[in-house]
Amino acid sequence: MKRYLLLALALLFAAIYLFPVYWMYATALKTSGSIFKYPPELWPSEPLVQVSRVFAEHDIGRYLWNSLLVASGITAITMLLGTGAAYALANARGTKANIALFLVIVLQVLPPSLMVTPLFVAFNHVGLLDYPRTAVVLATAAKTLAFYIVLCRATFTQVPRELKDAALVDGNSHLGAFFLIILPLARNGILITSVLVFLQSFGEYVYSRSFIATRELQTATVNLATYLSANSADWVGLMNYAGIYVAPILIVFILLQRQIVTGLTSGALK
Amino acid sequence: MLQSGFAKYLRDGKGFEGTLIVAAVLYLLVFAAFPLIYTVVMSFQEVDMFTLGTLVRPFAGLQNYTDLFHRPEFAPIVWNTVIFVTLSIAFQLTIGFALALFFLQDFPGSTYVRGLFLAGWILPALVVGAVWRWIFAGDFGVLNYALQSLGLIDGQIYWLSDPAYALYSVIIANIWLGIPFNMILLSVGLAGIPGDVYEAAEMDGANVFQRFLTITLPMMGPTLGAVIALGVIFTLQQFDLVAALTQGGPANASNVAQYWSWQMSFQTYEISGGATVATMMIALVIVVAVIYVRSVQREQSF
Amino acid sequence: MMRKLLLGLVFSTAATSAVIAAPVTLQVWALDEPVHFTENMAKEFEAKNPDIKLDIKLVNFANILNDTIRAVSTNTAPDLLMLDNPDIASVASHDVLLDLSDRIAASKVVDAKNFYPGPINQSTWKGKIYGFPRGGNTLGLYYNADLFKAAGLDPTKPPQTWDEISAAAAKLTDAKKRQYGFGFSAVATEESTFQFLPWAQSAGGDFNAINTDGSVRALQFWQKLVDDKVATPEVLVLNQPDLGSQFVAGNIGMIVTGCWELPRFAKEVKFDWRVALMPIEKAGAPRASALGELAYAVPKTSAHPDEAFKFLEYIYSQSSRDWNEYGWLPLDQTATPKDPKWPEAYSVFAEQMKYARGRGPSPVWPKVSKAIQTAIQDTLTHKTDAKTALDTAQATIDGLIK
Repeated sequence: MKRYLLLALALLFAAIYLFPVYWMYATALKTSGSIFKYPPELWPSEPLVQVSRVFAEHDIGRYLWNSLLVASGITAITMLLGTGAAYALANARGTKANIALFLVIVLQVLPPSLMVTPLFVAFNHVGLLDYPRTAVVLATAAKTLAFYIVLCRATFTQVPRELKDAALVDGNSHLGAFFLIILPLARNGILITSVLVFLQSFGEYVYSRSFIATRELQTATVNLATYLSANSADWVGLMNYAGIYVAPILIVFILLQRQIVTGLTSGALK
Repeated sequence: MLQSGFAKYLRDGKGFEGTLIVAAVLYLLVFAAFPLIYTVVMSFQEVDMFTLGTLVRPFAGLQNYTDLFHRPEFAPIVWNTVIFVTLSIAFQLTIGFALALFFLQDFPGSTYVRGLFLAGWILPALVVGAVWRWIFAGDFGVLNYALQSLGLIDGQIYWLSDPAYALYSVIIANIWLGIPFNMILLSVGLAGIPGDVYEAAEMDGANVFQRFLTITLPMMGPTLGAVIALGVIFTLQQFDLVAALTQGGPANASNVAQYWSWQMSFQTYEISGGATVATMMIALVIVVAVIYVRSVQREQSF
Repeated sequence: MMRKLLLGLVFSTAATSAVIAAPVTLQVWALDEPVHFTENMAKEFEAKNPDIKLDIKLVNFANILNDTIRAVSTNTAPDLLMLDNPDIASVASHDVLLDLSDRIAASKVVDAKNFYPGPINQSTWKGKIYGFPRGGNTLGLYYNADLFKAAGLDPTKPPQTWDEISAAAAKLTDAKKRQYGFGFSAVATEESTFQFLPWAQSAGGDFNAINTDGSVRALQFWQKLVDDKVATPEVLVLNQPDLGSQFVAGNIGMIVTGCWELPRFAKEVKFDWRVALMPIEKAGAPRASALGELAYAVPKTSAHPDEAFKFLEYIYSQSSRDWNEYGWLPLDQTATPKDPKWPEAYSVFAEQMKYARGRGPSPVWPKVSKAIQTAIQDTLTHKTDAKTALDTAQATIDGLIK
């Protein structure tokens, strides 16, 4: 009985928490006149599906594809550089390691909105702006990397040193121990952090807006923002757009949820 | 010969791990250090809006800093930033931790329901800002409606346009945005605590709170350190929400350092002023980073 | 990359056949939604000029000046871009825009005599024309005639002085229904400066005389409207499009906004709505209104200024369509629409346009405007009183425009 009570409580928490997401979809279904009514309609009285209108009007598919490319690139670079560094930093002792960890944190202090101008100047100088999506990937990975390293480091510290030492005694090199013993053990932490990085980079906005000059290459967030500023009166259209934008991520998330969540509960070592 | 020596160095011990660290730090230096240096340099220069493409500009000494301290909005904005960061972190962490502990219990569907909380992480801040703006609307917003229906307030609260509330509205939205991050990471940390430790403590007669204080909290040390350090940085980077909700207004009531820096740099083109604020933020994060690294050292020593 | 490729293309085609003109692609930054003006014009223009292509990137209003500055500083500016009209002076004063005066003088299409004076003054810096206005827009008073009747007001006699506005607004306000009598935008952006200046100007003030008694009275008037709850406190965060939406929803009886809202209102408003001239302080006071609209500009670095100007000529030649299709007054005064849509509104705005005054021009306009925005926000939130706030603003502005 207590277990179902807990479930009910959990559902209540989730319902409260998810209200803004519900509100986004509810607003998307209202007519532009009814959204200003007081008291607000908790459920649209005459639901009006405008999704296809908004989707077609804005060629959203193309922009979602660009976002997907950019986010995949960012996640790949982050995992490639971050996993090893996080592992090494979890093991390392001494001043040098501290300095490295310190740099990792400090170097991501400024919000992208303040980093973007110097980066633009530098990228333009070396010709990177001719490859705008690559430029976005490289710049954003520098943001996500720190996040990834700090989190994965925490995962690696939970892998007991004895396991690694045992692997080394068994005749593995450090390289071998890392790939054969440590990585599989830390798999869940890495997976979760990577998913978080991917979801974050999917929403990247400031760099994409500034580096990508060609419209065909722009990401969905930039397109969404253009829409937002141009039609700031069209709240319904905006919520539709946001709803469409979020949908693929939600679907991927629901499909992967089992893996992610199992990863979570089983912990790093079980 | 030399090559195989290097290969051995790479494969083994310090060499292997050192290379991994150097690769990541080098990457960060290339892509993140330049903007920082550029910003710090500008805070000591006179910057005209069309000299962004060069680093050679007239030297201004500490003039930008003294100018900044003398601005009437300086103290209120610093104070707002302190409130913004402190409250955001305190609530994100507490709520996140509470939820993580809650979902640790064994009940049907717990994993699925927990997954739903990631929604806040999925939405880009831009969209979150638009939705919350809508919820907070003073005359037609659903939040006022809910509070009035529950009998908690009489008239409307103008969440975004009343100087007494604007900052807290941004903080509420920011807490909402940060809960999933805190909850998930703390869940990962909690899952890493071996169950037998608890069982042993239970047999020794420790109650729930004692177990929390003597086992959970200490073992969560590294995770908590990481979450707080990242939380401070994320909160200091929270720009989109301020832009979408209040734009720092009304009358700077909800303005915070990162938004102010942007306003100066890109709205009124007091670029050195903006860079000066940013430099001070860098100094603050250096302090946070030092504390974090210290906490990591402690974790290693025990 | 793109440009190099095209350059290569230009050379190769020029080598093979000198007869066919080399195709040119113009990089264009446009602020275009929701009406898609530049895009539509570009399509028509491309059809008539197959050798010129326009590659349009849409830019946000909030970012356009930043993007321009960054692009110009790093030599990555497009061939044609758009700026809000008070920003032309800021950018032109740095000698980075192409002077269009000679081209306009030599043009067979454009006749400088026919420009509305307001927009072209805003695009002029030190006697040279750097901007090519898209058109002109100005503010007017929109009101809900159905609500007027319900409140016992005569919809054929819209309020014309500040006192009449207060009185009518009080009657139109119904707190229970969350219905407000009057609405304006005091949001902390350029929009509030744009909205506030006409009130100050009608009372004898201006951007460089912002602490005169008249300006103070204007700001006190705004403050009182909010204090009396006949305007929602949300005006502090409402931008003009949101203000328009509230009007469409029937929540506000009268609002001040621009003629650009006409196409939307015509489509969405379900009640009897009308337009009147901007209110003045008292009978006999000078009329005033704001002057808005974007202007095109050609960065000095453009490799194709002639083609870019040719496109501007095309836009000018289509002026007579501006009002009916896009909702703003044409750049060319003589290009009156033959059969104007919303004829009453047209005559109001065409009249209002005569009193429309520009902002500046000043090379430090963003800072001037910020000082005014700060005064408005500080006063409406009662952080300080109108007089003190405007004195502070005046001191700031004096320091900026010696």
